[in-house]
Amino acid sequence: MNKEDYQKYVEDKSPKSPLLLDCLKAFAVGGLICAIGQIIFYLSSSYGLEEKLCYTVVSISLVFLSSFLTALNVFNRIGKFAGAGSLIPITGFANSIVSPAMEYKSEGYIMGVGSKMFTVAGPVLVYGISTSILVRNYVYFIKFYISYFNLKRR
Amino acid sequence: MIFIKKVGEQSYILANPVYILETASIVGPKEKDGPLHACFDKCLEDEFWNEKTWEKAETKILRETINTCVSKSKIASSSIDFCFAGDLLNQCISSSFGVRDSNIPFFGIFGACSTFAESLILGSIVIDGDFAQNVLCAASSHFCSAEKQFRFPLELGNQRTPTNQWTVTGSGAAILSKVSNGPKITAFTPRKNNRYGNKRFK
Repeated sequence: MNKEDYQKYVEDKSPKSPLLLDCLKAFAVGGLICAIGQIIFYLSSSYGLEEKLCYTVVSISLVFLSSFLTALNVFNRIGKFAGAGSLIPITGFANSIVSPAMEYKSEGYIMGVGSKMFTVAGPVLVYGISTSILVRNYVYFIKFYISYFNLKRR
Repeated sequence: MIFIKKVGEQSYILANPVYILETASIVGPKEKDGPLHACFDKCLEDEFWNEKTWEKAETKILRETINTCVSKSKIASSSIDFCFAGDLLNQCISSSFGVRDSNIPFFGIFGACSTFAESLILGSIVIDGDFAQNVLCAASSHFCSAEKQFRFPLELGNQRTPTNQWTVTGSGAAILSKVSNGPKITAFTPRKNNRYGNKRFK
């Protein structure tokens, strides 16, 4: 039995995740979170807020809800059930910052909470922000080039 | 120079067999639900064991396991010459704090899954080399502290695959001795490290 055969044997024997069921769960919970967001949007617009402010209110409320549920030890159960359904919306991002903060509280407020808070979300922030800057510069230069080209043609 | 204790490529035979005088183990709640729960000296009801942090709980588990082992063996802790112990945390913190008040010279070792086997091998080498009469070997791990150290916070809402491994919450200890009539260690074979993993499957 060589290495590849052994790997295949192990893969055959090990139980698989129920892919379809997991997708359905993620779809249901993710949809529910989006529906809650939409409800908050309608509520805040019925109070007379303008549209741009309503989006902010939705984000703030969902972040608060997710952080609160994380602190109550409820969100990790939702996450275990729903997977990407609760991870991909803004709720997952809030959870990924609050959970290390709670976990590392035992190591103190500065070296624990302060420095370890972004262990999970840190890479997302660094590469997300860097990529957005890169894309923005790229778009800017393309636009500049096009307008320059157009000017020259005239 | 002739290595008379070395046989073959990487195996070693001890000149005199080393006996396992006494063993002890304390485990957490998940292990209590398993089929081996009757074999452990103590099963904990929760992961904290009246401590504030998981690391402190792991330290307490290791300390209590060592105490149980020593008191079961009915030998004085002053007649134990060395302690080989390890765990999964930074600076082997739970073992070094766990044996801190025991007054036994302590060697911290790190071998991840193989820590306990490693401590048994080193302990038997020390006894076979006539450096010690009794040696204490121990290892500990804690699911929550290991998750915190190596993986994600427990509060993070991620999913585990069905084949995900679960680090043991618990600790085991054994006292090796020159004279006894229990099970004995006669030989050992440490695996050679190479970057291709275990050669058996090549």
